[in-house]
Amino acid sequence: MRANLIDKYKDDVTSFSQSKGEPDWYKKVRLDSLEKADELSLPKYEKINYRSWRLDRPGSIDNSSANEFDRKPQANNYIYQAGDQTISMNLEDELSKKGVILTDIFSAMKDYPELMQKYFMTKVTKTTDNKLTALNAAFLNSGAFLYVPRGVHLTKSIQAMFVQDNSIDRDFVHHVLIVAEADTEVTYLENLVSEGSGHKNKANIVVEVIAADNSRVHFSALDQLSKDTTTYLNRRGITGNNARLDWAIGFMNDGDVIGDFGTDLLGEGSHTEAKVVAITTGEQVQGIDTKVTNYGKHTIGHILQHGVILQKSTLTFNGVGHIVKGARGSDAQQESRVLMLSRKARGDANPILLIDENDVTAGHAASVGRVNEDQMYYLMSRGIDEKTAQRLVIRGFLSSVISEIPEKDVRASLTQMIERKLVYGQK
Amino acid sequence: MSTLEIKDLHVSVTDDENGEGQEILKGVNLTMSTGEIHAIMGPNGTGKSTLSQAIMGNSAYKVTQGDILLDGKSILELPVDERARLGLFLAMQYPAEIPGVTNVEFMRAAINSRRDKDDQIPVMDFIKKLESKQDILDMTDEMSERYLNEGFSGGEKKRNEILQLLMIEPKFAILDEIDSGLDIDALKVVSRGVNSMRGDNFGSLIITHYQRLLNYIVPDQVHVMMDGRIVKSGGPELAKKLEDEGYAGLRDDLHLDVKLTDEI
Ligand SMILES: Nc1ncnc2c1ncn2[C@@H]1O[C@H](COP(=O)(O)OP(=O)(O)OP(=O)(O)O)[C@@H](O)[C@H]1O
Ligand SMILES: [Mg+2]
Repeated sequence: MRANLIDKYKDDVTSFSQSKGEPDWYKKVRLDSLEKADELSLPKYEKINYRSWRLDRPGSIDNSSANEFDRKPQANNYIYQAGDQTISMNLEDELSKKGVILTDIFSAMKDYPELMQKYFMTKVTKTTDNKLTALNAAFLNSGAFLYVPRGVHLTKSIQAMFVQDNSIDRDFVHHVLIVAEADTEVTYLENLVSEGSGHKNKANIVVEVIAADNSRVHFSALDQLSKDTTTYLNRRGITGNNARLDWAIGFMNDGDVIGDFGTDLLGEGSHTEAKVVAITTGEQVQGIDTKVTNYGKHTIGHILQHGVILQKSTLTFNGVGHIVKGARGSDAQQESRVLMLSRKARGDANPILLIDENDVTAGHAASVGRVNEDQMYYLMSRGIDEKTAQRLVIRGFLSSVISEIPEKDVRASLTQMIERKLVYGQK
Repeated sequence: MSTLEIKDLHVSVTDDENGEGQEILKGVNLTMSTGEIHAIMGPNGTGKSTLSQAIMGNSAYKVTQGDILLDGKSILELPVDERARLGLFLAMQYPAEIPGVTNVEFMRAAINSRRDKDDQIPVMDFIKKLESKQDILDMTDEMSERYLNEGFSGGEKKRNEILQLLMIEPKFAILDEIDSGLDIDALKVVSRGVNSMRGDNFGSLIITHYQRLLNYIVPDQVHVMMDGRIVKSGGPELAKKLEDEGYAGLRDDLHLDVKLTDEI
């Protein structure tokens, strides 16, 4: 039998925690989580089988610093990390004066212990949710904290660049915590990207978003983890009364990835729009499970997922809309559509509606189809070659999510990423 | 000078329901050169759009006999995009809508597809050209920035087809009912656009039901199509005669055994 995680890793985790100068409370979270991880099981997702990926077997936890890369975001307010190192960051004075916090996760543990103990894996995602969330807490080796105090409206976006390094042999165990207190507004953009080559690594990434009463949070993500990175990516949020939490996620990874996304609509009258675009190429497998649960009365939860599958790859979209008993006057809608560009590709779009309350509206649409021939013919009749025409039609198909992203240059980078991935997938 | 020759063209479509081929064009002959404007008229369902799609290379239309030659070379084996790059253009009766791709981006891609990879059209040149063509058609930047045909009104789609024609500058343009659904002002604008292309290096095949369009774009030749064949050709006066007498009169004059859709 394999040794228990706790026996095998207790010393490594303890010394890593010490090397980071972590406060005792977090060292305890690590060790408790490590112990619990042994009993917890892997999260289960409809029609997504990833057991063989061995995401529950950690690699060595190591303190070596990653290399620097040329990836600094073009934004006034940003944080830029490579592995566990924060390469640079900036927060305008005006914002720090108002009490906005943007920092790496280790500094946050030391400098803001009350906030961290209050919010870190206590409200949204728990260390006890499943084996992988427990391992995230136990092996955490990078991450960031963004805090927007009550009443503060950020007019410019906050950008994050997180580089995962495959030039060394190391798991990327990353955690982002975003807290938007009551009556706030914030737009956050996250880039996850791999650099370097030569090693195969695992990534375990948890992002928590707390959108308190009357807050408006817009979360965009551009994910580009490499072929050599096998990933569990969990991004979830909760809402207070009349809060709005929107997600726009560009899932452009080249490796095998499980995406666990969604919102728990806790507060009355709160609203979430979760939009995902994904492209899979080569032989990669991407499974995306987006779940919105309506707990509060008069809550609105909409899921929109569009994906394109090329070559021998596999893409599965689950859309789960759950309205619990008592969430009267709520609305759960979802649409998942997949385009298959190759006969060897595999794709699935599974709508799952769980409705435990009568006085609600709900609906779903799902399809797996091929590229629209009329559109192809029209473009080609103007001289555009088949591959270019195909990319244009696909871009159109994905545009409902692209157009959701607030910044023009971010939309442009997503469009570029889509172009890159499609060109690669058309080879 | 370029020529487009249609020789004894037979075209079938496959019925979606029973999978059987049905012959629509039954031997069409037509020759045109750049510098000329030809018009095709004919009752509903006689194969005018089928002819235009077969020339362009729509794979739903199978050529079972005959040939299509551009400058003496058969183009039957060429896919639609290659035919387009050789100089053919089809303004479609029902243009597709493509969300997420702007008109501007699309037209640039179309122009660049005709140029070398390392000789793509400079942005300023493109914009200048676009503005001058928009002016001819009374169009604004706003429309060019919109997604390709998405949410365009019927008339806007037609105008947009002509804008593409002016931007791409093909050798031969087939215009399939470019006048249907246009108000009288738009009809004049669209005609102005087509006329601006007239010259030694441009030829056009105009499919229409209405003689009125031919007052604005005066054709060199008019052809009448019935039941998959061209049954009569003549000058612009033929269109006027048809307008007065209808297709039944012409059919009876020619002693054709053809049933017209609207006959009881
Ligand atoms: N893709 C297709 N599949 C099946 N039948 C078709 C198809 N295209 C055309 N047809 C049939 O071929 C015949 C000729 O159609 P076509 O569209 O060429 O006529 P038309 O002369 O352009 O008519 P109209 O003046 O109404 O536009 C019609 O009977 C039509 O139903
Ligand atoms: Mg027609």
